[in-house]
Amino acid sequence: MTATTAPEAALGVLPRADGSARYSHAGYTVTASVNGPIEAQRRDEHPYEAHVDVIVRPAAGVGGTRERHLESLLQSSLSQLILVKNFPRCLIQIVLQIEDSPENDYANTKLVQASLNFGIMPALFQTSVLALLSAAVPMRATATATAVAIVLQDGTRKKVIDPSPREIEAAKSVHVLAFTSRDELLLAESEGDFTVREWDEVCEIAERVCCRSTVTKEGIEMMLDDEVADGPDTRHFLRSAVEDKVAADLHWK
Amino acid sequence: MTTTTGRPFVLPGETVDPSLVPTHKKHPLRLGPGLRHIPPSDIIPTVAGQLVTNPVKNSIWVEYNSQRYIPQPGDLVIAQIVRSTQDAYLASLSPYTASATLPQLSFEGATKKTRPMLSPGSLVYARVSLANKHMDPELECVSSATGKSDGLGPLTATAGTGTGTVFDVSLGFARRLLMARSREEGRVAVLEMLGGEEGGGLAFETAVGRNGKVWVGSESVKTVIIVGRALQETDRGGLGIEEQRRLVKRLIREMR
Repeated sequence: MTATTAPEAALGVLPRADGSARYSHAGYTVTASVNGPIEAQRRDEHPYEAHVDVIVRPAAGVGGTRERHLESLLQSSLSQLILVKNFPRCLIQIVLQIEDSPENDYANTKLVQASLNFGIMPALFQTSVLALLSAAVPMRATATATAVAIVLQDGTRKKVIDPSPREIEAAKSVHVLAFTSRDELLLAESEGDFTVREWDEVCEIAERVCCRSTVTKEGIEMMLDDEVADGPDTRHFLRSAVEDKVAADLHWK
Repeated sequence: MTTTTGRPFVLPGETVDPSLVPTHKKHPLRLGPGLRHIPPSDIIPTVAGQLVTNPVKNSIWVEYNSQRYIPQPGDLVIAQIVRSTQDAYLASLSPYTASATLPQLSFEGATKKTRPMLSPGSLVYARVSLANKHMDPELECVSSATGKSDGLGPLTATAGTGTGTVFDVSLGFARRLLMARSREEGRVAVLEMLGGEEGGGLAFETAVGRNGKVWVGSESVKTVIIVGRALQETDRGGLGIEEQRRLVKRLIREMR
């Protein structure tokens, strides 16, 4: 599957939800709905802040331990973004439905249950941020995420941004990193064998992908050639996707 | 996408250019919805929208549209009575949120002996008197200063024989309907058209709640449905004035 497709997003796709978004990138398509702030169940109620509830539903079958793990990672990083202190005793519910994931050409992965891994994390993360923006949930900042894999190729260790399922399978280690719009590291999860130095390099690459601000010179957007190879300009993409939605909402102004 | 130079697009956490913040000799700066102040001097947006300023009132806020109503003091809302307690009604402002309290004595002319009887499910037009993040919101149907209702109270068709129902719209559209000059500022004229010559002079009454609810009442059920549909289609389709005129004409033609 081609992993270097440009990301696509649509906001407000579900009319009955408070906010929703559909995002597709690198073969993954995820739809998210956000409802909130709503009344929390008694057991989720927190006296001083809102409870953020993340539910990940796989494309086929029911979620398992891996989904719960991804949910807990998303939940802790999104609670940092949302201004949870503004809504005590409330619940902000985010439901992520995976619609499509890239096929592994080398293994029959069709209808395999509970085989989620870090490769899908950036898509899940990006979709939830877009859906939260569409629901106008007050947030501290926006954030972008990316996945980097270290693949052993011809004896040398190569770093791959947004790896394909095949690359993840063969990778020595896979890393997911998210950065807020103020260039702060928000999420760093890794699996596999790697050294501290490798992690530093991965972090540097991820920061370049997530925190790249488009070079603007006298109103002309300049893309340098070596930057194109670094994957999509996620931050700029997020901004333009939301800007379109806001402009459509405020057409009457 | 281009935004006009007067209203820049902002995302949560972005820094607001100090040149955009208005300054005034007398009035202090007022921050509207969608902005938060981090002492000493940072003003940071919390939602995605367009930054709007009013130099005369020295205010700045973020204009955006959403679906979920968060109560603010002074807002006019349409609430549905859920149940009654000893001295207050519990009313719902939006689905799945904590219910608001409406004291039984906060109606015009209500005393301990004569209080309005509202059954669960009935609708009231009320003002949010208290909204605090740590407490459930409180409503009132009477002005505490004058003791008059000012049009607030139970929503029933004034003619007596008529019916009414509530339609859901987005919060931004409800706000446009509530504007004093909704045609010029909010670009909605669909209600005027329905009552005017385009709509053949339909007779109906409306109440707009800031919580994204519009109550439409009329003698005939047909009129109620036409007005409600016109409002919802204008909201969802993002129609301009000319498109609203076409919509009204189409709905009237379909009714006949």
